[in-house]
Amino acid sequence: MSLKRIILLSQFELTRLFATKRGWLALAAFTMVWLIILRYPIYHAVSVLRSPEFSDIAIQIAGSIGLYQLVRWPEAELSVYWIIALFTFPLFTLFVSADQTVEDAKRGTLRFLTLRASRSEILLGRFSGQVLVLFALISVSALAAWLLMLTRDTSLLFSGLGKVVAVIVLLALTTLPFIALMALLNLLASSARLSIIYASLLFTVGNLLIGYLASYIELAHWLYYALPGVHISHIAPWYNINWQSIATPILQSVALLSLANWLIKRKDL
Amino acid sequence: MSPTTSTAIEVLNLTKRFAQKRALDDVSFRVDTGSTIALVGPNGAGKTTLFSILCGFLRADSGNVRVFGHTPGESSLFSILSALPQDAQLDPRFSVGKQLTFYGQLRGLNRREAQQETARVLELVDLSDQLKAKASELSHGMRKRICIAQALIGQPKIVLLDEATAGLDPINAKAIRSLIADLSKDITFMLSSHDLSELERLCDTVLYLEQGKLSSHQRYAQNESDTAFLTLQVQQLSDVMKEQIAHLSGVKNVKQSQPDELVIEYDVSHKALDIALLELCHHHGWRYKQLVNGNTLENQLFATP
Repeated sequence: MSLKRIILLSQFELTRLFATKRGWLALAAFTMVWLIILRYPIYHAVSVLRSPEFSDIAIQIAGSIGLYQLVRWPEAELSVYWIIALFTFPLFTLFVSADQTVEDAKRGTLRFLTLRASRSEILLGRFSGQVLVLFALISVSALAAWLLMLTRDTSLLFSGLGKVVAVIVLLALTTLPFIALMALLNLLASSARLSIIYASLLFTVGNLLIGYLASYIELAHWLYYALPGVHISHIAPWYNINWQSIATPILQSVALLSLANWLIKRKDL
Repeated sequence: MSPTTSTAIEVLNLTKRFAQKRALDDVSFRVDTGSTIALVGPNGAGKTTLFSILCGFLRADSGNVRVFGHTPGESSLFSILSALPQDAQLDPRFSVGKQLTFYGQLRGLNRREAQQETARVLELVDLSDQLKAKASELSHGMRKRICIAQALIGQPKIVLLDEATAGLDPINAKAIRSLIADLSKDITFMLSSHDLSELERLCDTVLYLEQGKLSSHQRYAQNESDTAFLTLQVQQLSDVMKEQIAHLSGVKNVKQSQPDELVIEYDVSHKALDIALLELCHHHGWRYKQLVNGNTLENQLFATP
């Protein structure tokens, strides 16, 4: 396997977002959505959290849902950003990384590529390209939240910077298995849209089925670990984040990519 | 069959099924480096399946396939084999130049070399001015020529072209034929086409597939038998003409292969038969359209007994 070819393939994925008209439109939409999220939900939530009248109530409510640690952050913008981003980025990832190989396979472009790169290299190159794209988008939105915080209190510059780096890393880790899942579903579906439908079915019907099975067979509970995002509820409170929570999305990604690699090697193009 | 260093493609007992249909049925052949190979056969005969297996797009059910000693799909073939897959298209969102440069880089060229290579192959297909055009902005014929250009990036040793001239206008089809003829000195080509006259001009080896079976594997070689052929196309062909030609000295047999075409089998010792034939046409005022030295590929493959 050639690392150089994987890097070339992932770089080409970056240009898909940053150097095409469709990519620019997607970026513009992303920016607008996050500007609105920053301006309204985050800005106003912080006002509530910091106000003497509501802070005690907010702490009580947050504590009752396990977010006690978060509401005590002096970097309130980042804590609100963390919760919103943690639950929206996985969904966003499903859409952003919905077309890794499937449309190229349909058009025949994948045939041109397989004459010059192995199928595993294409799979990993496209996956790592999507990882970089998501990492860039997460970083930009997190830094915007950090800047918003600085407009309120510049003394939080360094403490906030440490938190924002940690937030970016954890969000990027969280999106990994979702990208890997779409890489796999791209090999089973006949279009990007169908890949999204398959993913939606997996998260809804799959969750229900596991819940049903787990009510009869205790061990079936472990099947939840096959679903990307199972660790989100563990890391959301930002309290006692352990290695298991960090390893889960990595192991899920490795497993999904291994399965995708096995499949792509046997797939007719 | 024992492979040698001059073997470009070696296929042994190749079988591929799609559901119950045998797309390729125990196909075996070997072609040498430097050959220009025609892959001929009716629709659904298995030509594209064979191409796809040679390129590594499909996996064979059984049999052995080697291209320059390598298994299709191996990374060692990336700098050796290239192809124009049937119906494959470039990504419509990127410029032609960007995609071809990217393919060059995947082949191991640095960015500058890849850009130069892109300029070279676009020049070969006379589309240098389309470097910055997006694939979606090009006509069908232009897209086809761009796809042929991508097959020539990095100077591969063997190029497989599936229906390379299908859908091209006559001028561009002729230009592509000339290009293949020029490059065939350095590159082994395998071509599939329904245009037999095109294949006849370009190819020295013919593989004929029918219902997944390789029914004919011919190589044009120096004629060592005592019989040769002339193919005469003439206007208003009549039985009288056939009779008169049959009486020429050295003629063994005259057969009508088409409504306007005769295949004349003759003794090679009569080297001047072509002159005699033209004189006969001139003497009787027969308007001949074409005289071919030999038997046409179409007649060889589809001759009725």
